[in-house]
Amino acid sequence: MTTPSEELKLEIKKLIINTLSITDVDINSIDDEKPLFGGENTLTLDSVDAIEIIMAIQRKYGLRITDQHIAREVVRSINSIAQFITDNRKI
Amino acid sequence: MAAHCESGTLTSLLNYAGLEISEPLVFGISSGIFFGYFHKTKAFSFPTFIVRNKPGQMRKNIEKRLGVKFSTYTFNSPDKGMAKLDEIIPQNIPTACQVDFFYLDYVPSWERVHINAHFMTVIGKEGNNYVISDAYFPTIMQLDTGSLEKGRFAGGNMSPKGFMFHCKTIPQTIDFESAIKKGIKKACFNMLSIPIPFLGVKGIRMFAKKVVEWPEFARDTEHLSHEIMKINILLEDQGTGGAGFRFIYATFLQQAAEIIHKPQLKDLSQQLMIIGDGWREISLFAARIGKNRDLGQEKLRQLGDMIHDRADVEEDFFKNLSKAIN
Repeated sequence: MTTPSEELKLEIKKLIINTLSITDVDINSIDDEKPLFGGENTLTLDSVDAIEIIMAIQRKYGLRITDQHIAREVVRSINSIAQFITDNRKI
Repeated sequence: MAAHCESGTLTSLLNYAGLEISEPLVFGISSGIFFGYFHKTKAFSFPTFIVRNKPGQMRKNIEKRLGVKFSTYTFNSPDKGMAKLDEIIPQNIPTACQVDFFYLDYVPSWERVHINAHFMTVIGKEGNNYVISDAYFPTIMQLDTGSLEKGRFAGGNMSPKGFMFHCKTIPQTIDFESAIKKGIKKACFNMLSIPIPFLGVKGIRMFAKKVVEWPEFARDTEHLSHEIMKINILLEDQGTGGAGFRFIYATFLQQAAEIIHKPQLKDLSQQLMIIGDGWREISLFAARIGKNRDLGQEKLRQLGDMIHDRADVEEDFFKNLSKAIN
């Protein structure tokens, strides 16, 4: 399993912020491992945001997450999104 | 883990009984894909829709098309229903139970809602706890006797009445090619030719037309917002495998193409994935306007147009699928 790059994680944070038009969160304050849902991270997202992110990942990286159980795991944190993209995108 | 509780449960029972079959194949052979719109009637206090065939139909279709036999049971008495389960489980026969999802203690409390047509499999008993394999969870779960009994004998619409089933016999040979073709033909018939105006593609069109009327049935904006956001839940979050079962059916077509040697099904699978993306756009749009309470006529018309567009593409898709299989 390849470890995701820091560059990719930053790209994901920018993608989330741009997709959800978030203006009040400093990108450097977003923790890579803390859950994006439930209020533990500086970003606090809900289920609607999750679908937006899933679709943004599909548009940017061409990766369709069809199953909602998998989707739930993927969008758990910045690290889990980065790992999914690293594991699945075509080189 | 599985996409959907009924197809996932059927798949695990068949796999345990020695039949190697994937969940998408079970879903496709049983003609799981469907659409039905139900406008406000005496039976429905608010309009709603379904994206799959009725609960229990998948099992019946699998029996018919694969020649598999299931033993089924329903009960009026909870005591008898639990006693029968206790008689079967020690024989190492995994048994699927229909339950109200709300009573499954292993589900996090914030995810528990009353759904009377959830299926999971009881695979053992340890003391007072049943050992459960639930398609929505990656690990084996435990459920105490009281909770299982409450779930199996919950009241309300589509009450489970203790319904349970297990695999009885698997035929020595199965004609998968024939089963797949029959499953596809029936799905095409259901989507294109049922002469009822609210079912199949006609149902999608009715949904598109009627969604602008939904404010008339809502108590207030909160209620309307809740119902509009439910579109997202029904399409994405109730074990649909994403996009109202369109993605799982696309996977079925991909697998079926190999088995019945019809490569054109692979192209159709790709087309359905793209159709599914459109359903996902609808899901997101509905969730967004519901969340923002942005529910004016213009937004609802926009939603209706998006749904109407799905009717058009699905009509073409199922016509092409029907041609490909004949």
